[in-house]
Amino acid sequence: MPVVELSYSRLQKLIGKVSKKQISDLLPFLGLDIESEDKDLIRIEYSPNRPDYSTDLGIALGLQGLLGIKTGIFKLIIKKSNNYVIHADPSVSKIRPFVTGIIAKNGNVDDNLIKQLMAMQEDLHFGLGRKRKKSSIGIHDLDKIIFPLTYTTTNRDHRFIPLNSKSELTISEILSSTDVGKEYGTILGNSIKIPLILDSKKQTVSFPPIINAAVTAVTPKTKNLFVEVTGINKEDAEDMLSVVATILQTAGFTLYSTKILGAKNTSPKLESRKILINSNLINQTLGLDLSNSQIISSLKKSRLDATLKGKNIICSVPAYRFDIFGPMDLVEEVSLGYGIQNLIPILSPSQTLGQPNSISVKLKSLSLIMVGLGYTEALNSSLTSKRVLYEITNREPRNIISVLDSKSQEHTILRDSILPGLLENLSKNIHTAYPQKLFETGTVFSYGNPINETTNLAGISAHQDATFTEIKSILQSALKIGFNLEIETKTLSHPIFEEGRTASISINGKTIGMIGEINSKTIENYKIRVPVVGFEISLSGLIFE
Amino acid sequence: MSQVLHEIEKKIITSLKNNEKQTPENLEKSTNLSPDQIRRGIEWLKLKGLAIVTESQAISLSLGKNGLESFHKGLPERRLLDLLKNESKKLQDLQKDLGNVFGPAMGLARKNNWVDASEEKIFLKNYPSELPGEKTLKQIGENKISKNEIDADDLSFILKRPDFIIENVIKTKEISLTDIAKSIEITAGLSGEINVESKVPDVFVARTHPLKDTIDEIREIFVTLGFTEIIGSMTQPSFWNFDALFTPQDHPARELQDTFYLDGISAKKIGTSEQIKKISESHKKGWRYNWDINEARKMVLRTHTTCVTIKHLAENKPDEARVFSLGRVFRNEKVSYKHLVEFNQIEGIVVGKNATLRDLMGIQQEFYRRIGITKIKFWPTFFPYTEPSLQTMVYNDRLEKWVELFGMGIFRPEVTKPLGITKPVLAWGGGIERIAMLKYGLDDVREFYNNNLSWLRSTTKCQ
Repeated sequence: MPVVELSYSRLQKLIGKVSKKQISDLLPFLGLDIESEDKDLIRIEYSPNRPDYSTDLGIALGLQGLLGIKTGIFKLIIKKSNNYVIHADPSVSKIRPFVTGIIAKNGNVDDNLIKQLMAMQEDLHFGLGRKRKKSSIGIHDLDKIIFPLTYTTTNRDHRFIPLNSKSELTISEILSSTDVGKEYGTILGNSIKIPLILDSKKQTVSFPPIINAAVTAVTPKTKNLFVEVTGINKEDAEDMLSVVATILQTAGFTLYSTKILGAKNTSPKLESRKILINSNLINQTLGLDLSNSQIISSLKKSRLDATLKGKNIICSVPAYRFDIFGPMDLVEEVSLGYGIQNLIPILSPSQTLGQPNSISVKLKSLSLIMVGLGYTEALNSSLTSKRVLYEITNREPRNIISVLDSKSQEHTILRDSILPGLLENLSKNIHTAYPQKLFETGTVFSYGNPINETTNLAGISAHQDATFTEIKSILQSALKIGFNLEIETKTLSHPIFEEGRTASISINGKTIGMIGEINSKTIENYKIRVPVVGFEISLSGLIFE
Repeated sequence: MSQVLHEIEKKIITSLKNNEKQTPENLEKSTNLSPDQIRRGIEWLKLKGLAIVTESQAISLSLGKNGLESFHKGLPERRLLDLLKNESKKLQDLQKDLGNVFGPAMGLARKNNWVDASEEKIFLKNYPSELPGEKTLKQIGENKISKNEIDADDLSFILKRPDFIIENVIKTKEISLTDIAKSIEITAGLSGEINVESKVPDVFVARTHPLKDTIDEIREIFVTLGFTEIIGSMTQPSFWNFDALFTPQDHPARELQDTFYLDGISAKKIGTSEQIKKISESHKKGWRYNWDINEARKMVLRTHTTCVTIKHLAENKPDEARVFSLGRVFRNEKVSYKHLVEFNQIEGIVVGKNATLRDLMGIQQEFYRRIGITKIKFWPTFFPYTEPSLQTMVYNDRLEKWVELFGMGIFRPEVTKPLGITKPVLAWGGGIERIAMLKYGLDDVREFYNNNLSWLRSTTKCQ
């Protein structure tokens, strides 16, 4: 989950009459986790579905609601204007078809606001924008741009001075030499045409979704802003724009509309939606008996609007709350406005009888039998490495099931056997007193429709006098007392075991595993200094299906 | 000096008082105890500071094949001299008589000026009464003799000759008494008394794994709360792990960097055609993108056990149910003291026409109470497939802070509706290792999978 850094004093300024303690007590009830605190600074984690919480301005809106200082919808006021036109050229349709935007004037741009806007932009890019692929934002100094603008395409040798650069670069150079170019260039694929926003003087404003032009950079001297969003889906682009617009209006800017024309683009409306909800659903879901007016007041505390119409409540949801899909999301908004801390848990009597799974029951019995025989239970990962599974044990790798892009070298393939892991355990305990006797039950994996998962039992005994006879008696006794099964052993060759001291294990003619003295080479590979004997059998199809 | 001694110790001390330094073998004879009793007795006395064990090495000598032959027939050079004692002989005759020892014998005899050769015969010049090495051979004979007892000069003559002398290294122990032991009065009357206050060795108890114990405990709590256990596969098509839970196909959680995909494996059959159709529609409507069945076929290591639950619900569509599943889940994370790539999760659901969020909180509260956690609170949170969603915070006395434990919520209609589930489904779940860490006071979650025997052998079983 993303993290944002806030200051108590700024929050207090934004919210109005509120103590530091009230803020820290209430933040969790907005769904924000406090990660750390240091005097005035506070770091909080917010959910990716609420990008408005990536700024203190958005959080202040939420807290005002819960505190009852300001409730109801925070309505976007967008002044109509015909001065700001963006023409979309049909050539963008195949590469990044949608553009939208808004004008924000007369705000107070300071370092803090720039910092907050950049953090919000990053989070919107990552979450909603899916790493800028779906949609991306550019925020510009309006006064450096001469409207109308054109959203069009260009070639890779187009040149302009990108943000954070002093000299002109070509698109190709930006993609190959800047950090953002390298990171996001793949979004454009091999396309010859590159999206671009130009102003009426043919000055480059932005190269979406990669980088803005240096000339439009926002600084503390900026008074007026132009925000553009481009993307591959109109609704997503407008959702993103609505968050930025809301935050900018909160920050004191006056918003003006832009006119978007051409290539299936239309001007953004950023209007609130109406959703109908029934109080029964709310009360039934939450286990409460709230009156309509209580419900309406709770929704308002969650910064939504609601009015009663007959038996239903009509709820207005602002555009930036695109995390609200339908009535069930409004139930949650009611619960937040009502206060989770006010919901009293109840324990309803169970209408059902409980029962563990029969496989769990059998595995537990088997564990207790192995413990009774003096074996201690080990637990190893099912994701392991070629080194443990094959290299050390001299087993022949075949039909390896690998995972893609593991961050850990030790966890790259699914185990097809438990025994190697137990040997690895012994090798990590060579300085501990012997005898060492371990067992493990767990899942092993093999190919088949598409993957077979079977449960195996493996046991291992290491001490100066460990012998084949010892381990065979253990297995024989475990299966006899546990499940009244009689094992047979037949000579077998297997690289993990010593030649001539290895057997296959079968029950009623069906092979279920193998047993033997571990190969001295393997023991040496594991740096174990005592003889080791062990077995592994498949339990699936033996004691359960 | 009051010392409580075992009968064996008394016998050993008494014997050593009579004969100050003895080997364990000597002690066996002098005390009439078995080798094992002597071994144990010496260990005990050593631990109590009553006996001193000095280990030394000695070399013993015995005769090899050639040595033994010479011992019986005489050294080859002696046999040569004997043949020449009465008359000089032809070279060929001597060769015949002595066989393959003729060469070395002749060489030695000439070098020492015992014989000489004329044109055709060998004759005796000198007849020493004792040849170098003869004394050693006689001394050793068929026995083993300590090297110290043999005249080193004489030995040196034959030590190097092949197969004459075999050297054996013998380790010997000698036991003697410390001054304290010497002052102990051995009395016969106290033979039944032992030192009940002295330390005794630990015995390592075989045991089930502590994490398994926690899992079993949790299973039992769920069962007694009326829940039935279901199990499912760890490898799952993305369809059940993600799509069925309304996670869009371009969601960051589905990326390679968070989820383990199985290399090149995709499932042929992922669900009924109805399920696939309804779920894809729900995605298209809710998330506005083109749902791709090939993405849903990709096999993953389950990232939660919820895939098992949702599949169970889709197959059974119960109006009333309490079900839980627990097992391994996987996340492609960097392993650290708080993250594992593979860990255990518990997950439970309640289906019922009248199931409410407060019921969900009540079941949580009761569950925590049973595992010994009473200080809890609920906070709102976000999960992609539940609405409303909550998380439990529990107070950790040791860390003196609130820590997040289970997540919970009511399955979204976008999840239940496409699968034909009509009643509310309360769901919750969380990592079992987190609970087990609280229980065993661990700060490093890797400890559970290290299988460190000293930890396994020492961790208190009942906590």
